[in-house]
Amino acid sequence: MMQFTCPHCGPRDQAEFIYERTADAVVSLDAAPEEAMKSLFTRNNPRGVDEEIWRHTYGCRAWMVIARNRVTNEISATRAVGPEALP
Amino acid sequence: MINFSFDGKTYQAQKGDTLAAALLRNGIGLVGRSFKYHRPRGIMTAGVEEPNALVTVGDGGRTEPNTRATDVFVYEGLVAKSQNRWPNLSFDIGAVFGLAAPVLSAGFYYKTFFGSAKRWMFYEYFIRKAAGLGNAPTKTDPDHFSQRAAFCDVLVVGAGPAGLSAALEAAEAGKRVILVEQDNILGASLIRDGQDRDGAWVEATQARIRAAGGRILSRTTASGYWEHDLVTLTQRVAEPGQIPMHGVAQRLWHVRAGQVILATGSIERPMAFGHNDRPGVMLSQAVRTYVRRFGVVPGKRVVIATNNDDAYKTAYALKAAGAEVVAVLDARPAPAGTDSGLPVYNNAVPLSTKGARHCLKSVTALVHGLTESWDADLIAVSGGFTPVVHLHMQAGGTLDWNDAAQAFVPAASRQNVTTIGGAANPDPVFNVVPVSKPKKSFIDFQNDVTLSDVDLAWAEGYRSVEHLKRYTTLGMATDQGKLSNMAALGRLAEKQGVAIPEAGLTTFRPPYTPVTMGLLAGAGAKDAGAHVRRLALYDVHAAKNPIWQPLGYWFRPRAYPVGSETLAQAAMREAKAVRSNVGMTDVSTLAKFEVSGPDASAFLEIICATTVGKLAVGRGRYTFMLREDGFVFDDGTVWRLDENRYLLTSSTGGADRMATHISYVRQYLCPHLRVSAVNVQEHYAGIAVAGPQAKAALAALIGEEPSRHMSTVTAMIAGVPVIVLAASYSGERAFEIYVEASQAGPVWAACEAEVAKQGGALYGLEAMEFLRIEKGHLVVGGEVDGRMTPHDLALDKMLNKAGGYVGASGLSRPALSEAGRRQLVGLEAIEGDIPEGAMLVTGEGVSPQGHVSAAAFRIMDGGSIALGQLTDGFARHGEELIATSPTRGQMARVRVVAPHFYDTAGERYRD
Amino acid sequence: MTDVTITALPAAPLHALEIWSNPAAVATRFKKAGGFALPAIGRSDGSDALRLIRYEPTVWLVEGDVSALSGILADDGALTAIGGSVVRVQLSGKGWRTLLMEGGVFDAENPNFASGCSAATIIDHVNVRLHVVDDDTCHAYVPLSYSEAMIHFWTTAALSLTR
Repeated sequence: MMQFTCPHCGPRDQAEFIYERTADAVVSLDAAPEEAMKSLFTRNNPRGVDEEIWRHTYGCRAWMVIARNRVTNEISATRAVGPEALP
Repeated sequence: MINFSFDGKTYQAQKGDTLAAALLRNGIGLVGRSFKYHRPRGIMTAGVEEPNALVTVGDGGRTEPNTRATDVFVYEGLVAKSQNRWPNLSFDIGAVFGLAAPVLSAGFYYKTFFGSAKRWMFYEYFIRKAAGLGNAPTKTDPDHFSQRAAFCDVLVVGAGPAGLSAALEAAEAGKRVILVEQDNILGASLIRDGQDRDGAWVEATQARIRAAGGRILSRTTASGYWEHDLVTLTQRVAEPGQIPMHGVAQRLWHVRAGQVILATGSIERPMAFGHNDRPGVMLSQAVRTYVRRFGVVPGKRVVIATNNDDAYKTAYALKAAGAEVVAVLDARPAPAGTDSGLPVYNNAVPLSTKGARHCLKSVTALVHGLTESWDADLIAVSGGFTPVVHLHMQAGGTLDWNDAAQAFVPAASRQNVTTIGGAANPDPVFNVVPVSKPKKSFIDFQNDVTLSDVDLAWAEGYRSVEHLKRYTTLGMATDQGKLSNMAALGRLAEKQGVAIPEAGLTTFRPPYTPVTMGLLAGAGAKDAGAHVRRLALYDVHAAKNPIWQPLGYWFRPRAYPVGSETLAQAAMREAKAVRSNVGMTDVSTLAKFEVSGPDASAFLEIICATTVGKLAVGRGRYTFMLREDGFVFDDGTVWRLDENRYLLTSSTGGADRMATHISYVRQYLCPHLRVSAVNVQEHYAGIAVAGPQAKAALAALIGEEPSRHMSTVTAMIAGVPVIVLAASYSGERAFEIYVEASQAGPVWAACEAEVAKQGGALYGLEAMEFLRIEKGHLVVGGEVDGRMTPHDLALDKMLNKAGGYVGASGLSRPALSEAGRRQLVGLEAIEGDIPEGAMLVTGEGVSPQGHVSAAAFRIMDGGSIALGQLTDGFARHGEELIATSPTRGQMARVRVVAPHFYDTAGERYRD
Repeated sequence: MTDVTITALPAAPLHALEIWSNPAAVATRFKKAGGFALPAIGRSDGSDALRLIRYEPTVWLVEGDVSALSGILADDGALTAIGGSVVRVQLSGKGWRTLLMEGGVFDAENPNFASGCSAATIIDHVNVRLHVVDDDTCHAYVPLSYSEAMIHFWTTAALSLTR
């Protein structure tokens, strides 16, 4: 079980989070069909660091992008995503 | 004195005895039979690494098989039984396998796979009967298992001198400290080797750690090291088989540590020589532990075999306790220093032992190249020390080879873990290459693997250590090779002609010592593992004793049988009430979202594939949602409650998925929108009232003319504010009444009274299913199975032509509108009843062209009907097919029709 | 045994307050009208008449009278009633911190998690929001459908709590 540092709540157990997808698999609303399918089905899947979208579903429910090394599980960066919010 | 029993006979133990100590105290040397050859085995160690003395402890549901006698402390009434023997321990018929040992060599099991299957079936019977350890209990465990989280700055594993010092330093520096020790008292090597002042130091250190706020957990094993410095601890609150004081038998700790210090010490190694598995062959430090900690002397005439200095302490301890040390066989070529006053033989290694009646009789050794024998009833062996690096390795660490100690020691780790004490700096030893006959020279006692098995595996081409492990079963079972791995590696390296570090290592996996299944299940061990979600109106339903139906984590009433009605009878009666009069049901579990803000309609037109913004205030409509790849993934209704406020409903089963989807779209894709989408699934309880008399019932309840179909109003029922949605799933004029869950009781009661007045009935999920199938309404997870597009479900006319919704671009892929796709159809039986889940075929031997997703009977007229998916189904109305379910042995002839069997014009919705 | 008592509190009107635009301006208006600032993440503020607990980055849980809030929010946010979704369970006695470690993954034993602090977490597979009232009292906001199960879980766990 990993531990992530939620940009809002601080270090929390992985059990509170739900994985969504990698950041390169985001389909923007105005994506052309070809582009959308590429995002959904043709992904990088690097051996090493990748950017993953997680949600602190059982915590503050916020979304974030976590740069995780898939070999060592080292977390090198976490970035908040979402509407403008007060501190 | 404490009374316990072993194989039905009662014995006495001293306070603080392990079962092993108590057995030795009572002169019991034979404790079990070996796994494969049923060879007599005794107690070899004094710790968790024990390979031989496996016993079954406890009774009934508390039975714990394969408990190491060295790892259970005797309590009053402990019941232990030996394992893997029949009819009894000293006369074991299975021991005939020992005579057959040449046949049962390495890979024997796999070799039985060759040849005809019949041969394997023959062997399998005997293998299954003969092999194995204790039997799993068949009764339910009456105890509770707790799982608890803990956080600390420093976790120290092992309360020997190094661990205690580290824990004290950290605790007194103001850090949050947890110190764990698998033994029931602290001190580790000091218990065995310490002086009186050491005991006092251990006491004082413990007290200081506690005073500084540190937490000390004894009888607790750090059994797994996971990601980001999470360590799982297994705590024995009660001993195996013991009735726990407060109901909790064991506790699994999840400890997230800032830093982990491993002071796990080392495990002594045996030596390989002939018949080195007999009762009476023990490890040197274990012998010393029995003598000094427990006051039990396991032999009177003792031979010591060693390659290091440590075993001399055992010799002194034995002498002091009155035993005779007849020889110290020291493998090292020269004396180790001053005269010890012991009969020391240098350049001496044991060759084999002899025994009689399960006791050791004599030891033969090679001394300076010549054989020599001693009569002895105990041989204490020390083949060096293996640092306990398991947790370090589980954490993803690497190892260095320490040549002086002939051992692997912890090196770098990617986690925040350090190893201190004996585990980091094992004692130096002299490398001994086994010279005994390999056949009966055991290296893995638990799995009956000898040097000759390693040799055979090598001869048969198994080069990698991982292959060697699988082929010989070396290093498996409860001890996981704690004693055997290094000996096997040594032999393999010798065969390969390389140094041990080049021979490789097998993977260290959690748990370090065996963990009971109940502990992993935790509180969930007592029921299905997951909590059941209760309806707000649970008590109301329960009072009517319905047939319950699990639906995800929910339980919902499936039918409310009256008298001796079966499910089918009750459901049909309930469905008829809806068709002919009025019925009511609980629809609280539907997903519900309240969406408000200036951009609410824009947001909903992204989530929903239909138009939303054109809805007038007070009106609602059917809607559905697509995945990004263009397939339908949920459906529901959307209602405009106010200019900038909507209520969106969707399926029960998809509720959590939809909540995540809505949040993803809102927060990740559209952070700029001025909208708030709040999950109100549980805020509102929902009651559906449906049937030709529903309108009259509702009019009586709200005291005004009910709204027309697909309109919504707010009203009061029983003095409670409600939202009424005039929506229908059943095909009848119907209303969904939403009320804040905490006030649902009086509203339900009022509705029930009114429905009863009209002569109606309650209905459950089964009747709801009949009704919706007849009407041709979809179920998410049934007809909407993740493979259907809006076109396949004939929903395409409702699509928002302006696009812009999630899935619009995915749906535009040409393949999704090509011919040959499965499409929604109705099926009418010509002969037989249509089996649910049946395949649709045109004849025998033809590939299926579709399947039946839901089957029912016409409610008022009878006759078997179904919904299904059929290749190019829209164009095949009128065609005859066979619906066959080979798994149920059922079949029907069916005609393809439109998927609406009831009121196709929707006239029943009109007033 | 560790001292802790588990009590379900009566249903209360609860609202989700969400701000979707101009959060700084809303905060200023709120402080001026309410007399205290919109609490930061992981915190609560207010009195028994009106208490706000920060719920999500843009959402506060409001307990009490919300009649003045619509005006403050104006077009920058909305209130949604959610009281039916939640059962408030009071854990009182010194043992509440230990109890919350059972089946949990959140560091409720940390002394920094003190009066006025709030955290959402998962306990025995159920999502629960915690609010520290004082040293001896913590309120847990439990989903209605799981409240029966959680009260049972806590009551059972409390019987065998030892430090």
